[in-house]
Amino acid sequence: MSDDPLLDVRDLKTQFHTDDGTVRAVDGISFDVDRGETVCIVGESGSGKSVTSESITRIIPIPPGEIADGEVIFDGQDLTEMSTDQLRKIRGNRIAHVFQNPQGALNPVYTVGKQIIEAIRIHKDVSKQEAREQTIDLLDRVGIPEAGKRIDDYPYEFSGGMKQRVVIAMALSCQPDLLIADEPTTALDVTIQAQILRLLGDLQDEFGMSIIFVTHDLGVVAEIADRVVVMYAGKVMERGDVYRIFENPAHPYTKALLRCRPGQGSQREAIRGSLPSMIDPPDGCRFAPRCPHAVEDCRDGDQPPMMEAEHPGHEVSCIFYQDGFDSTQLDSGPEGLSASEARTDGGESR
Amino acid sequence: MATGTDPDLTFEDVDWDAEQEHPLIDRSPVFLAQVVINAVIFGALIWDYFILNNESPTIEGLHYPAIGGDSLIGLGFWELRRPVLQFTTNGIEMTTTFSVWDVTSVEWLLMVVLAFGFFNVVVPLYQNQRMTAYYWRQFKKNKAAVASLVFLIVTFVIGFVGPVFLPPPELSLTEQYLPPMGVTAQPPGYAEPISGTLAHPLGTDHQGQDMLKLVIFGMRVSMQVGLLSMSIAVGIGTLVGTTAAHAGGIVDEVLMRYVDIQSTFPVFLLLLLLIYLYGGSLILIIALYGFFGWEGIARQVRSEALQKNEEAYIQASEAAGASQWWIVRRHIIPNTSSTIITAATLAIPAFILGEATLSFLGFADPEIYSWGQVIAGGRGDLRGAPWISTVPGFFLFFMVLAFNYLGDALRDSIDPRQEQE
Amino acid sequence: MSADAPLLEVRNLKKHYPIQRGIFGGEVGRIRAVDGVSFSVERGETLGLVGESGCGKSTAATTMLRLEEPTDGDVLFDGVDITEYDDRELKRFRRRAQMIFQDPTSSFDPRMSIGESVAEPLRIHGMSDGNRRRAIVKDLLERVGMSGDDIDRYPHEFSGGQKQRIALARALSVNPDLIVADEPASALDVSIQADILQLISDLQEEFGLGVVFISHDLGVIRDIADNVAVMYLGEIVETGPTEQVFDSPQHPYTRALIDSIPSPNPRERGMAVELTGDVPSPANPPSGCRFHTRCPEVIQPEGYDFEQSAWRSVMNFRTKVTTRQIDLDGIREFVIAETDVTDPEDVTHDQMVDAIRSDFDIPDTLSDPEAESVLSDALERVVRDEFDEASASLAEAFETVCATDSPDMVRTEAGHSASCHLHDQSVEVEPGERIAQSDD
Ligand SMILES: Nc1ncnc2c1ncn2[C@@H]1O[C@H](COP(=O)(O)OP(=O)(O)OP(=O)(O)O)[C@@H](O)[C@H]1O
Ligand code: SF4
Ligand code: SF4
Ligand SMILES: [Mg+2]
Repeated sequence: MSDDPLLDVRDLKTQFHTDDGTVRAVDGISFDVDRGETVCIVGESGSGKSVTSESITRIIPIPPGEIADGEVIFDGQDLTEMSTDQLRKIRGNRIAHVFQNPQGALNPVYTVGKQIIEAIRIHKDVSKQEAREQTIDLLDRVGIPEAGKRIDDYPYEFSGGMKQRVVIAMALSCQPDLLIADEPTTALDVTIQAQILRLLGDLQDEFGMSIIFVTHDLGVVAEIADRVVVMYAGKVMERGDVYRIFENPAHPYTKALLRCRPGQGSQREAIRGSLPSMIDPPDGCRFAPRCPHAVEDCRDGDQPPMMEAEHPGHEVSCIFYQDGFDSTQLDSGPEGLSASEARTDGGESR
Repeated sequence: MATGTDPDLTFEDVDWDAEQEHPLIDRSPVFLAQVVINAVIFGALIWDYFILNNESPTIEGLHYPAIGGDSLIGLGFWELRRPVLQFTTNGIEMTTTFSVWDVTSVEWLLMVVLAFGFFNVVVPLYQNQRMTAYYWRQFKKNKAAVASLVFLIVTFVIGFVGPVFLPPPELSLTEQYLPPMGVTAQPPGYAEPISGTLAHPLGTDHQGQDMLKLVIFGMRVSMQVGLLSMSIAVGIGTLVGTTAAHAGGIVDEVLMRYVDIQSTFPVFLLLLLLIYLYGGSLILIIALYGFFGWEGIARQVRSEALQKNEEAYIQASEAAGASQWWIVRRHIIPNTSSTIITAATLAIPAFILGEATLSFLGFADPEIYSWGQVIAGGRGDLRGAPWISTVPGFFLFFMVLAFNYLGDALRDSIDPRQEQE
Repeated sequence: MSADAPLLEVRNLKKHYPIQRGIFGGEVGRIRAVDGVSFSVERGETLGLVGESGCGKSTAATTMLRLEEPTDGDVLFDGVDITEYDDRELKRFRRRAQMIFQDPTSSFDPRMSIGESVAEPLRIHGMSDGNRRRAIVKDLLERVGMSGDDIDRYPHEFSGGQKQRIALARALSVNPDLIVADEPASALDVSIQADILQLISDLQEEFGLGVVFISHDLGVIRDIADNVAVMYLGEIVETGPTEQVFDSPQHPYTRALIDSIPSPNPRERGMAVELTGDVPSPANPPSGCRFHTRCPEVIQPEGYDFEQSAWRSVMNFRTKVTTRQIDLDGIREFVIAETDVTDPEDVTHDQMVDAIRSDFDIPDTLSDPEAESVLSDALERVVRDEFDEASASLAEAFETVCATDSPDMVRTEAGHSASCHLHDQSVEVEPGERIAQSDD
């Protein structure tokens, strides 16, 4: 093992060319993932989390999608330079995906066993019998009781949580180095979510893989992340160690996200306004139209560059961390616009 | 009910006990206009049927009305047409075919259908201009469909207006087999090649009838068959499909089993039988296609409506106290309209082709200028005078093609799934 | 109408869906979606109905509004039983009780402007004057935080949160007394959920509405509800004032649910009690306490001394034996996959037994020797394909009240009600057993 991170995403830009204009879904984001580490990408709906995770192995629809710029260095190789054929050897083999909806990931007309066996045999040269044995073993490891029997069942014979386990088993079938899970528990009940999260943690210990976990739920982040990337409107707002993000959130957006979690009674606070247009994003900080701390300088130029916030490895893109600003002002109550101003639910949607 | 409208009225002020006494009547101007227009059309029918035409109110009488006993609408054009009739008529049957504006025939149905289309397609499109603009933007993307639409509108206008003002094609023994303008050919009976002239831009047929006029009169026939059969079929299909889907249970079962039975029914044999009994007539063909051509539409509409039935807005309406009929009419039919309109657009060319086929085979009303008949007439002269068959064939082909393009494009552009985005 | 009666009182409401087979639709079973729930809602009160997906929350909502006919039970609205209403009375009731749905997108007809949609209930209930409707709708839109000018726009032009505001306006339009909201915030982004919840409670206060708020999200319920009812498999297992239920949950299921909410503190990870297995099918609910197939605190049989987690595993095994859900060929294949054995003939009984034990997480030997001997005997029989005998001996030896008797709803020491044998005075429970065992 080398010291390099397993995955290094640098200044990635992904765009979709639509009738209404170019959607800059991911607009220059960078982060890395170390070996054996879990990185959570968190942000609200439409902030570009999924597009980011899908750009890594280029499974976005092209066209209308396009990776406009940036590098995705996986184990020393730039994936953006690779041909689709080369990528195909990596997808499902060294980098595996798990999606939100397990229903869609399984073909209803084949038994789950057949599907996993095929997934194994695409990348590995093993006999059917061997693949079958491996499959039973995998199903058992993801906690499917009586794996030897359930291997011949069809997807509809599994509950939602069990299906997600099957999908995870399929993703693990080639012992990937990196597992990309896009909201794998969002469609599940809390009790089942707890099972799946624990399972992922156990499997990571067992297989030593890295995980990129995409979610909008900060509770889930707290449960499994080592490091966190907070995304907003196609940009990274803050990144850092999970403890720092939760205990000393630096960015106004992260703070707002933490405040809008349910279960806090009257302390809970919505983020007023809504995500800006990704076709024509606002100047300056993308969060400025909704930020309670925004000042004039926030609305000029580009997104503020990533600056270190107190600790190494904890970086934040907010003007208050630049020289000449005082980041402690962010801790005091919001200034500028009063919270009741404007329609709370945002003006124009799309 | 409180009269006058208080702009500051709020929902808490409403006395619902008083409000609920009122029956549900829609009093929008559009609705009233619709009632008036339909009343006029029905009035014309009754006027024609009972007062003007009571000598021959039989089925046959519908198609062979006496010249003098014409309808209200017909009267309006009477003066215009009269010289033409006098000029060409050489038998009573010929004359009757020309009195196309007779309310009691196909024309009456056509008026009803056009009025319905106007109030249910054109008016809503006008009222919801932003929605219309959206549809148009989507539709515009498909260039072939836009061309088709233009072609069909032109065809429709010519086919609708042309026969009213133009004299019908005349038999002329001196001008048989004239080639189209710019074409030089040696048709049968000619000693040497001749060239077509501007007098007959598309040439003439074996009886010396002007091809252009034949085509224009044929357009009208095709339009009538297409629109009317389609309206009958789509009307029944929509009603059956949405009712079956929304009512479910035994109603669904009975209706759909009937659809299964009817779709195995040998319509063609029935048609031959009726033609044998009553003679081939346009109205018969239209009715038969309409009443026996809706099963596919009903099935499509039902399956679409079944999906819509699951949508939360149906439940929301139900929870608000809406009746079944309200839900079918206000939610299910409008939301299956993309299926209905597509089915309608694709049904038209099928019926047009069907009628042309029947005419070609000689089963249709010999008095009408159907393209099928003209094509059949030119069959024997394919070598010497190919234009007789190919000119109407060409129009038939493009009309069918245009409807197909249009149907596809409509399906794409008014699909509400895309509207959500 | 009586002034003292609660706004809505549901008594022993049931909704069963028949499972039909064959051409004549003979009933071969029934799905007990809602199986005897009772609760009441006062004016100005919010009742939170919470439970996992498929536990019958939405069915309870639609049945209590008679959007579906209840199989049994009464629904009293203002003291009058609405299950007896005829069509006309029902329509009047529909004006007074409105519903809000989960998906703000699909709950609007895409072909109607939002003005038309909001006005629809007004029209249905007889307001035929378009100008009056328009005045009311404009006022309503403004009250829910939208602009009156939005009236002619279409649903797709609004965000989810905005649509849910409009849905609230639609529900309010006919000035109802009761609003049933089925997961109204679940489809919205967390960042705007709080807004909608705030709006609901503001409106409720302003108009004294009774609200039934259905959600699977305990956090949301905690924020909005005055009282909560926890549902499991068609039944209410615990109900009481929100604070009390969250602070001292009395039913093991409620405890597990609260525990499964991931805590936003990364230093507390992995503390949750894990509920094993899935929700059983409501077509064939477990005997006794419906939660006994998953309950981490399931009561131990008398005369044995298990580790609670081992006991839970043995119960899981017992359930599968009774329902014959153990597939010997599958286990044989599993042994082949896991060991060097290649021929199914060569798989020994011991290997099979070990495989079953590890499959169910049963320790190699139970700490109680007597229990161990019952279990190993049963395992042996199962491997020999003698399921009935195994099942009988397990049921006899390991009889637990949880699997035989269904618990009554009782008032607990905490003051609110729960239905669990742990609160049954007649059942002897050792104090230590009440504490949930977290196995790490
Ligand atoms: N195929 C596509 N064509 C056009 N735009 C797209 C496409 N896929 C995604 N987008 C746009 O990219 C932006 C980011 O979308 P993305 O799905 O990554 O968000 P997300 O953060 O994953 O949201 P969610 O939490 O809802 O999953 C959105 O504005 C979305 O509309
Ligand atoms: S840069 Fe300005 S607008 Fe952006 S987060 Fe910081 S304070 Fe808010
Ligand atoms: S009755 Fe038994 S199984 Fe049911 S919840 Fe209580 S302890 Fe658990
Ligand atoms: Mg996503």
